[in-house]
Amino acid sequence: MDCREFCDKHVAFVDDTLAGIELVRMQRHIAECEICARHDSRVRRALLIFRNLPTIEPSADFSQRLEARLRNECQPAELFANTQRNLRRGAIAATLASAAMLGYIATTLYRSDSPRDLVMPPVVASLPEPELTPITTSTPAIVTSVSAGLTIWPAALFAEQVPTRFAHSKLELANYTR
Amino acid sequence: MADIVRKQMVAVEGATVRERLQAMDDSAVVTAFLGGEERAFSELVTRYQTRLLNFVYRTIGDREKAEDLVQEVFIRVYRHLHRFDRSKKFSTWVYTIASNLAKNELRNRSRNPLVLFQTVQKNFQDEDRPLQFEDPNSRPDDMYRKRHLREIVEETVAKLPEHHRNVFILRELEGKSYEEIAEITDCNLGTVKSRLNRARTSFAEIIAPYVD
Repeated sequence: MDCREFCDKHVAFVDDTLAGIELVRMQRHIAECEICARHDSRVRRALLIFRNLPTIEPSADFSQRLEARLRNECQPAELFANTQRNLRRGAIAATLASAAMLGYIATTLYRSDSPRDLVMPPVVASLPEPELTPITTSTPAIVTSVSAGLTIWPAALFAEQVPTRFAHSKLELANYTR
Repeated sequence: MADIVRKQMVAVEGATVRERLQAMDDSAVVTAFLGGEERAFSELVTRYQTRLLNFVYRTIGDREKAEDLVQEVFIRVYRHLHRFDRSKKFSTWVYTIASNLAKNELRNRSRNPLVLFQTVQKNFQDEDRPLQFEDPNSRPDDMYRKRHLREIVEETVAKLPEHHRNVFILRELEGKSYEEIAEITDCNLGTVKSRLNRARTSFAEIIAPYVD
């Protein structure tokens, strides 16, 4: 072991954290090297003095001052907690008020005379009934006057009715076949 | 009568809780505090106030300021304890806070030399110094020698570079492991060992003429 290696491992040597074989090598080096031996004893003595420095104690009012500061520290926290609590209460109150208002509005609407629901009639598709145009112009006198079964229509009426009847009979036929 | 009995019961109960807290490790005390037991914080203060005061005092060299900083440490602990990662050591966390505050204090002083002068001046007033170092049964010359030696040691520590001093105090005074020091000072293990080696060597060299 050289002096450089000794210095590198001196911290662990002083703290007694070296492995067994390393410890032996360090001790052997001290026995051989006067400079390193002096360094080692100087460091150990200095540390001994430092470690034996008297400890200082906190002053008598240390705890009281700390308590006072902690109390001050608590106050803003409490204030904050109170503010939070008040805000929470306010929010709850606002929610309740809103719910009450909505309930009131709903009740008012329910009780009003206006129809609740707008009921629309069902949409039903239906065929128009065939328009059987009543023979308005024919008089019973005319019909009854014909006994042979062949109606004798007035010419004007016949001319007016025939297209309609034909068309209607065609329409009916078409419907049946569909 | 009923009041007296109730008070006695509360006192007994209080003492029991305190004793129970004393028997707990740091982690359990922290858990108790977070669970609503306010007395647990007093227990933490009792455990750490002297250690932290010595650590900060040795780092910054001003007793009065050291007390203020230790109070600040506890305030911060109180404020942020709910955020403390309980898988880690409480002591490491507390020392990290104290170390950072001490570092800030030294940085502020270096920016403001007037403050440095005043604090140093105050630091060297004899009436401000703790007197328990002296044994009243010692001879006067022995007392003088001890006081003189203490002053020299404190001056010597103050002469170390800040990052060396921090590691040196954490190791030699607080007995922290290398790993803990690495965590507190936020540097790697190799740096810690290297700084410690240099700090020890420097300290030994400076103080050698006075003790040899």
